[in-house]
Parts: sequence; C-alpha cells; structure tokens
Amino acid sequence: MNASMKIKLTGLVTVVAITLSLAACSSNPAQKTACSLPEGTNLERAISAARFDLETGCEYEFDAYFQRLLTIAEGDPKKENKASFSDFLLWANDAGLLSKRQARETYNRYFGIKYVSLISDYSVCAQTCPQQSDVMRDMNRELGDKEQGLLKISADRLNYTRASNLYQETELVLEATCEACGPIE
Amino acid sequence: MKTAIMCERKGTQQFLGMLLVGCLLLPVAAYSSSTAPTIKLFPTTVLEEIKHTGNVAAEMESGLQGVISQLDEQQKLYLESKCEGNEGDPGCERIARQLGKSYLDMLNVMADKLPEMETAVNATSSSLEKRIRKELGQKKTSWTLQELLIGEESGQAAAASQPSLRGRSGMRLSDRFSQYYKLVARSGGKTNSSLAVIASDIYLDMQETSSLIARTREEIARATLMEQLNQSFGTITPEMQEVVAGVKAILFGEELDVIPMAIPPAGPVDYGYESALQM
Repeated sequence: MNASMKIKLTGLVTVVAITLSLAACSSNPAQKTACSLPEGTNLERAISAARFDLETGCEYEFDAYFQRLLTIAEGDPKKENKASFSDFLLWANDAGLLSKRQARETYNRYFGIKYVSLISDYSVCAQTCPQQSDVMRDMNRELGDKEQGLLKISADRLNYTRASNLYQETELVLEATCEACGPIE
Repeated sequence: MKTAIMCERKGTQQFLGMLLVGCLLLPVAAYSSSTAPTIKLFPTTVLEEIKHTGNVAAEMESGLQGVISQLDEQQKLYLESKCEGNEGDPGCERIARQLGKSYLDMLNVMADKLPEMETAVNATSSSLEKRIRKELGQKKTSWTLQELLIGEESGQAAAASQPSLRGRSGMRLSDRFSQYYKLVARSGGKTNSSLAVIASDIYLDMQETSSLIARTREEIARATLMEQLNQSFGTITPEMQEVVAGVKAILFGEELDVIPMAIPPAGPVDYGYESALQM
C-alpha cells in the first residue's frame, strides 16, 4: 500500500513538474518580445525602441536591428537621417556594443564617400594588387550600401555620385597601377 | 595642334584606328608641361616621349590622309557608277583596281611607319609604367590612393575638375583626350587626382596600342597578299569596303560606340551634415 502510494505520489509530482515546465515555457515570450525588431515608419521611435532592446539583452542582434533601422529610414529619405544614424552609432559605441573603429566604419560604409573596403596599411603593390579582384568586389558591395545610405536614406544624390565616380576612378587607377606593379610574386 | 582620331572596328580598320592614338598625345604633352604636380607622374622625360609618340603618329596620319581621301573618292565613284553587282563591267573593273591600289598604298604607309610607332609607344609605356609603379604603387596605400583620387586637398575645386571617366572599351580616345585638354585649359592647372587618372588612362591605352601594333604588323602582311590577289581579279571585297567605311569614320569623326558618362548633377555643392564619425 505504502509502495503504491509512493508510486502514485511520484507520478503526480512528475505530472505537476511537467505541467509547470510547459506553463513556464509558454509564459516566457518576454525574451522574444524584448528582441523583436522595431516596426512602423517613424525612424526616431524605431531608434528609441532599438536602443532599449539593445541595452536590455539583445545586443547580439545588433546587425539585425541596424538593418531594420536602415529599412525604416528608406521610407522617409532626408538629409537629417544621416545625423540620426551617426548618433545611433555613437551611442552604440558608448554603450559598448561597437568599438570606435566599428562605429566609424559602419557609418562610412553607408554614409561616407570614401570606401572602407580600401582601408590598408601597406602599399598598393604589396597589399592591394595581390587581391585586386576581391578589393573591387568589396568596393562594389560597398557602393550598394552607399546607394542605400546616401541615396535612398539621405537623399544625397551629389555625394552618391561622387562615391560612384570614385569607384570608377579607383577601378581604372588600380588596374593601371597593378599592371605597372607587375605580376604577383 | 593636331589631334587624330581613333576608333575600334572589326579587322584591319580597327588596327588602323588604334594606331592613330599617338597623335592624340600631343595635347597631353602641351598641357602637362604647364604645371608642376606634387606626384611626379609626368616628368620631362615622359613628356618628351609622349610628344615624340604624338609626332610619329601625326606623321603617320598625314601620310595616310591623302590615300584615304583617294579611297573615299574612288569608293564614291564605284557606288555612283552602280558597280555593285556589276563586277564584269570593264569600267567598274578599272575603278575596283584603282581602289585596290589605293588600299595597298594605305597598307604600305602603315607598314613603313609602324616599327617607329611601336618603338615610341613602347618607350612611353615603359616610362609611364615606372612612374605609376613608384608614385602610385609603392608610395601609396589603397586608402591614400583613394584620398588622392577624391582630391581631399582642394575640396570643391577638385570635385569640379575631376575628369569624367567613360571607361576604356568602345570609346574614342580623341574624345577622351579632347576632354582632358578642355578640363586643363579651363582650370589652368590640374589636381593630382586628375593626373593619376590621366596617367592611368594613357598607360592602359598605350599597353593596348602596343599589343595592337604587334597584331597589325602581322595583319598587314596578310592583307597585302590578299589585296595583291584581288588585284588580279579586279574585285572589291567586302573586307575592303568595310575598311574604307572604317577609314571614313576615322577621318571624318563619325560617332562610334559612345558610352554615356556619369556626371554629377548640376547645382551648388552641398557639404551638408558632417558626422563625428566621418573618415
């Protein structure tokens, strides 16, 4: 009898435990909600929401948040958007989400004329020419990001055109320079 | 100052067109000597070589001009006499032979001038190669190279004086060089960014021209033999007609394969927002 009662009690406890566990799972959407990407069309509100989430445990989703903000900003292109993204990235640096270098490179990738793909420490002959096609491919991708940042978000056609011209000139000059540098050893 | 014309066409006329590139270098030599660039891409020796190449090409051009005019006249006569499809006619046959002779003359002029042209182009290409390697390849990183291109030192003025690039393939060099010339003439001087682009453009064109000269020299022997055979039969081949048409285009400057250029939109430069993150 005692043994039977023990078995029943153990079973009951197990069932209760499982039920409680399941209930706990289903009532734990807090994590999900906390990391849901901002919605809507207002960039400033979206930035505020993103900052809150990123400060409260969603920092590993930084890239996704940033991309969402870019998409939202496309809905209302204006020059002031540059400042909003600059402030956001400076905040991300202050909050320890990005290093100063990451913040600077991210900003310039989208809103600068110069190409962060061309950052290098050694001479063109030594460092760039051996990977010329990779560099040009990276620049091409970056030109796409500049199109989004400068043209679609900031409505800054002039600087986008300058970035585009810089791409063409760099391609020409790199081709000539790498030809002049000679074959890769 | 003479300028010549270059275009790309199929077969022989393509080579002929490419060979006239040297003539286009005269204006470059003239304007490049008027400034003292910080980066030494065009020292006196390079300028002298460019000038010499231009002179050689100009000689070739003047040598060809007469025979090309003659070819044009003869082809016009041939067409006006309705000789197409009438090759058996003795009059038409005579015109065809004269046309073939002029064509041979043109090939001979080219054969005479090509070795000198080849030497001049190769010398210029080699000098320019050394300067580009040293000044752009070894002294610059890719980042400082882009800073040079963007013309950071002169801001708005540099942006205004950037040459508009249209890519090398399928465009006439005469247009490009004329554009460079106008740019410099208008600004009264050049920025280093423009110099780097001009030097690169000339160097790549020289490389291309050099290889075309080599191919042309081979082609001339074949074309001469073919035409000598044609002389025996007194016919105008489609190849000859194409060459004559190409030559006309080269001399009279018909627009060929013009690629639209990207130019900044009109209006005042707006530097706008400057981020603390700006590089």
